[in-house]
Amino acid sequence: MQGLHKYLSCDGDKMISLTINDKKIEAAPGKTVLEAALEAGIYIPNLCYCPDLPPIGACRLCIVEIEGARGFPAACTTAVREAMVVRTDTPKLKALRQNIMWLTLSGYPGEPEKSSQLKKVADYIGIKEMLPGFVPRPANIPPLLNEPFFVRDLDKCILCGRCVKMCGEVRKTGAIGLVNRGIKTIVGTGRGTPLKDAGCKFCLACVEVCPSGALYDKEKIEEKDREKKLLPCVHGCPAGINIARYVRLIAAGRFQDALEVIREKVPFPLVLGYACNHPCEEACRRGKLNNPISIKALKRFVADRDTGRWRAKLAIAPDTGKKAAVVGSGPGGLTAAWYLRLAGHAVTVFEAQSEPGGMLRAAIPAYRLPRNVLKKEIGEIERVGVKIRTNTAIKSLDELFKQGFGAVFVATGAPAGIKLGVPGEDDPRVLDGISFLNAVSYGRKTGLEGEVLIVGGGNVAMDVARTALRVGAKKAVILYRRTREEMPALREEVAEALAEGVKIRFLTAACGISAGKWKLNVECVRMKLGEPDSSGRRRPVPIEGNNIVIKADRIIAAIGQKPDAPAEFGLAADNKGNIQADAQTLACSRPGVFAGGDAVSGPASIIEAIQAGRKAAASIDKYLGGKGEINRKFLPEDEAYPSLGREEDFCYRERSEVPVIPVSRRRHNFKLVERAFGEKTAVAEAKRCLRCELRLKISKAPLPPTGQCDNCPT
Amino acid sequence: MCMEKTKILVCLGTSGLSAGAADVADIFEKELKRHKLAGKYRVVRTGDRGLFRDVLVDIVAPGGDRTTYEYVKGGDTPKIVEQHLLRGEPVKELMAGEDYKQFFAGQMRIVLANCGEIDPENIYDYTTGGGYKALTQVLAMPPEKVIEEVKNSGLRGRGGAGFLAGLKWEFCRAAKNDVKYVVCNGDEGDPGAFMDRSILEGDPQAVIEGMIIAGYAIGAGEGYVYCRAEYPLAIKRLEKAIEQARKNGYLGKHVLNSGFAFNITIKQGAGAFVCGEETALIASIEGRRGMPSPRPPFPARQGLWGKPTLINNVETFANISHIITKGARWFASIGSENSKGTKVFALAGKVKNTGLVEVPMGTTLRQLIYGPGGGMLHKNIGFKGVQIGGPSGGCLPESLLDTPIDYESITQTGAIMGSGGMVVMDKLTCMVDMARFFLDFTVSESCGKCTPCRVGLKRMLEVLEEICGGKGLSGHLAFLREMADAIKDTALCGLGNTAPNSILTTLKYFPEEYSEHIEDKICRSSVCPALVKFEVAQNKCIKCGRCVNVCPAGAVEWKKKEFAKINKDKCIKCRACINICPVMAIK
Repeated sequence: MQGLHKYLSCDGDKMISLTINDKKIEAAPGKTVLEAALEAGIYIPNLCYCPDLPPIGACRLCIVEIEGARGFPAACTTAVREAMVVRTDTPKLKALRQNIMWLTLSGYPGEPEKSSQLKKVADYIGIKEMLPGFVPRPANIPPLLNEPFFVRDLDKCILCGRCVKMCGEVRKTGAIGLVNRGIKTIVGTGRGTPLKDAGCKFCLACVEVCPSGALYDKEKIEEKDREKKLLPCVHGCPAGINIARYVRLIAAGRFQDALEVIREKVPFPLVLGYACNHPCEEACRRGKLNNPISIKALKRFVADRDTGRWRAKLAIAPDTGKKAAVVGSGPGGLTAAWYLRLAGHAVTVFEAQSEPGGMLRAAIPAYRLPRNVLKKEIGEIERVGVKIRTNTAIKSLDELFKQGFGAVFVATGAPAGIKLGVPGEDDPRVLDGISFLNAVSYGRKTGLEGEVLIVGGGNVAMDVARTALRVGAKKAVILYRRTREEMPALREEVAEALAEGVKIRFLTAACGISAGKWKLNVECVRMKLGEPDSSGRRRPVPIEGNNIVIKADRIIAAIGQKPDAPAEFGLAADNKGNIQADAQTLACSRPGVFAGGDAVSGPASIIEAIQAGRKAAASIDKYLGGKGEINRKFLPEDEAYPSLGREEDFCYRERSEVPVIPVSRRRHNFKLVERAFGEKTAVAEAKRCLRCELRLKISKAPLPPTGQCDNCPT
Repeated sequence: MCMEKTKILVCLGTSGLSAGAADVADIFEKELKRHKLAGKYRVVRTGDRGLFRDVLVDIVAPGGDRTTYEYVKGGDTPKIVEQHLLRGEPVKELMAGEDYKQFFAGQMRIVLANCGEIDPENIYDYTTGGGYKALTQVLAMPPEKVIEEVKNSGLRGRGGAGFLAGLKWEFCRAAKNDVKYVVCNGDEGDPGAFMDRSILEGDPQAVIEGMIIAGYAIGAGEGYVYCRAEYPLAIKRLEKAIEQARKNGYLGKHVLNSGFAFNITIKQGAGAFVCGEETALIASIEGRRGMPSPRPPFPARQGLWGKPTLINNVETFANISHIITKGARWFASIGSENSKGTKVFALAGKVKNTGLVEVPMGTTLRQLIYGPGGGMLHKNIGFKGVQIGGPSGGCLPESLLDTPIDYESITQTGAIMGSGGMVVMDKLTCMVDMARFFLDFTVSESCGKCTPCRVGLKRMLEVLEEICGGKGLSGHLAFLREMADAIKDTALCGLGNTAPNSILTTLKYFPEEYSEHIEDKICRSSVCPALVKFEVAQNKCIKCGRCVNVCPAGAVEWKKKEFAKINKDKCIKCRACINICPVMAIK
């Protein structure tokens, strides 16, 4: 916080010497007596002071005695002066503070919460009984429970005024103010309108500064996971991309800066912009207000506009002379390769297929992630010197070590489809989803025709169904044993599949396959939803004696994949085939070998694979003698812009959905389905952000000293 | 020539208007026309003079001879015109009586000199009486000299605190800034005080002139008059006055063709008591909630829109032109050692003459109450106390009636000068109830910002209500004392600092009433309903029967030549009998 030059008149910039409680101290001109005291380790009780706010002077607890001054000035509104002699703890002051604290609590229902500043200050001052038999008289205003995010329990409000100052003078939103006069004063909105209509931007600064428990988050927030809860997008991103920051930069029109923020954490802004499963959007706090920010689309927006400015800032460490091998060129492997290369190591990526990209190339259809986009991004990785050797299946790790590689990252993914496990699935017309997508991606014949039945409810099932229609199927029907609610596939993927003509039969599971004369007869059991299972979704329960038979030309199972790392690697694996690696370091049972991504976790997302690659790179760098520091800093910290301003319709601004091309123009080809945001849309969408990060930047109010120490005024 | 005309002054301020003065003035004009006298007489619609005798009409001959009529009705005007104007015989039965004369005899009118004498909507009335002479004089002086003059006069701010006006001006002048403001505080909030309103209604040009001079002295180009919206007439007249001043070159880009520019804007307040506090007033003008902020910074350094701002009260500004034209020495010769000039009081309560009284500083309370005030309203019911300074002031007993009215002496008693409210109370006033009443006012007028004022006053009020309701406990007095002191010491602004005064002074000067309420459950003034028995004391009753006539519930039983008796089943405790009883026989 800058000094209070703004609020208190002061001259010059010479340090000022003063005496507080016989202690000689120095303070910058423009500081208040309270600030000077706190800096010198002398605590003066206070409730309306906040380091980020102009002085309020409402609680009157920080009164002090100043030699030569009349009465008891408040330390928070009195500027330091040369040779000032201040006392903060005379018996008179203590008595007055007890009087005021008694008053403060005389309208408070019950005891303030232990963790609240109010309780701590009250305990510090000491509570005195002033009126025998007095029972506190709250105003009996029912708590306002219907507002989003937080509860306003006005009975507990002590009118310190911090929230109002925060909203009005720091955020410049002015949604709340003091209403009524005298004892009837409350913190409220004009005419008592809901916050949404009062211009509130739900930055929650008010909640943050409330010392009395009158404003509190609906979701209880423990001190240890504060950041996680308060900044859910960043913490919802497995790779920890500073989403809040780049969204703000987009809102400010600083697109290259935004891209650099993304690139500080991942080498795949484009890929993610096109195909990320965006857990950040599910976490986005705005989703609780109306609907989340279109973060993925914003990422694509800036990634598409990449001018390459970031390259100039990219520092590659001098060659270390160490060599690292990466097995598998999926997002995880390539990410690890990227960071290891930046750390100065020589990196070679081995890929069994003819093209690099792993699942990005094999499983994500081109209508979602165009090949040139993928190529471009992998090109950036090669540009820094990562060598990618395609058509090179690694059979033995020993071989690699022999070739002089100091460490190996096994990122072989989970490319093997899981079987349905029903009788008759050995029929050649029963395929598995991932192999099917793989075949289409690499231009191999699939021989798909007629009616195709797809089993599964994930993104792969959607991709398979949509791809099937593109490569010749007349009809694509998905069987899913639960309802749309429980489907793990992304909302928009399901919607597009349906739009393209895919049919979904919910609450239906295949239980047997037999070959008919021309077609396959698929016997299905009808399901109903029972109790929730361990994943929290309601478990499907078969309805006895209600089986149906569906005829189909092909069945494609898309119910999951598993890793298939060669046993010759000699790595310990669990019964699902997942390689076992240390959760933190990704180190495997074999020294110098690290594993991560789908190969360890089973099938997951691109962004999780990227995070595994980041982790692996850090561990391997350390293993090779480096510091393990992989994060880049492209953009210096901006100045804090705590102001939000006032926009009347802010809460009602709807999410801009990603535009898509018409179904007729895409149903039978692999044209990119999603279109990009225009600049106006992107900026407007970014401006919907609730700016959660601002709350974390609010300074803490000084609390009374807890233990005994030299500085204790008592 | 208009100078030759005889003037018919009709007092047409807010109170005159409500008594029908507008009709009286209209009828006078009609009558004059009818008698073809319009060329000889001029009806002057003035502001109020300060004493209320319904419609006051003065016939002032060019030589200065005047006849004053009081309680004039529209129907009386033809008579006055025919008898007085045509035949030269004053209408005896309408002429103002002794009280009227007594009221004005003990006064020294400087600020109020023009009120009730000139047409406030006509700038020429003001200038012919010497108005704007001071401004002309000032424009020929260096600003520092003007400030010197105001400083030498010893004029202290009339808003309440009594800060030396000249010193404030000097601070503003010294503050370095291209933009400065002059603000006239017309947010008169004390219940019963109306001197600012009367000045604005009766002599707005004097305030404007004072502000222009202040602007010139401190180097400000813009002025604001902050006036409560409850004063529509004052605002209307002020607007007209500003317009006329502008047309006549007293306001505008070149004040009296000099290089000095000054303009005045009226800002209407919504009538919150606290907006009279200067930092709250500034907030209100800026369009924010009228709430005080901590000082420093003082407005003289950082005021309106963050610029140096001079804030003076209406009465203070109205004094300025007199100081300039008659000289600082003249002004300093009036009043007491440390308080110079005169002070206007709004005298109210149980005195014979209520109204605006302007007396030199140093006059004693007794001189004021028994001089212009004419003494107690009911001879039989004696004086008990006088509340000075409005709700933030204090209540003084008979023993302090010889206290001279000046800032220091009044403050020493525990009361404050305030803006000049003065309520006289007789023995029918309960001091505990009175403290409760004023506290009730400050509780609802507290802005709610700081804890001591917002909560402390309310808790004290609750305790006082319990005491008045017969539920007083022995611990209550200690609580009141401690809390009143704490609030006085710790509240943020002047409102809170002074709000406990009425409790502190009544506790100090009338402690027995508190203990009677708490210990004996008696209200000696028979005011607190829970403590009144509604019984007629036979040793006091004079068998007059007035209580029977006034009782709305038919609860008083009385036959001629017998003591009255109150039937408690029928009594609704309205206190009508207590108030009418001439001998305080009902307890």
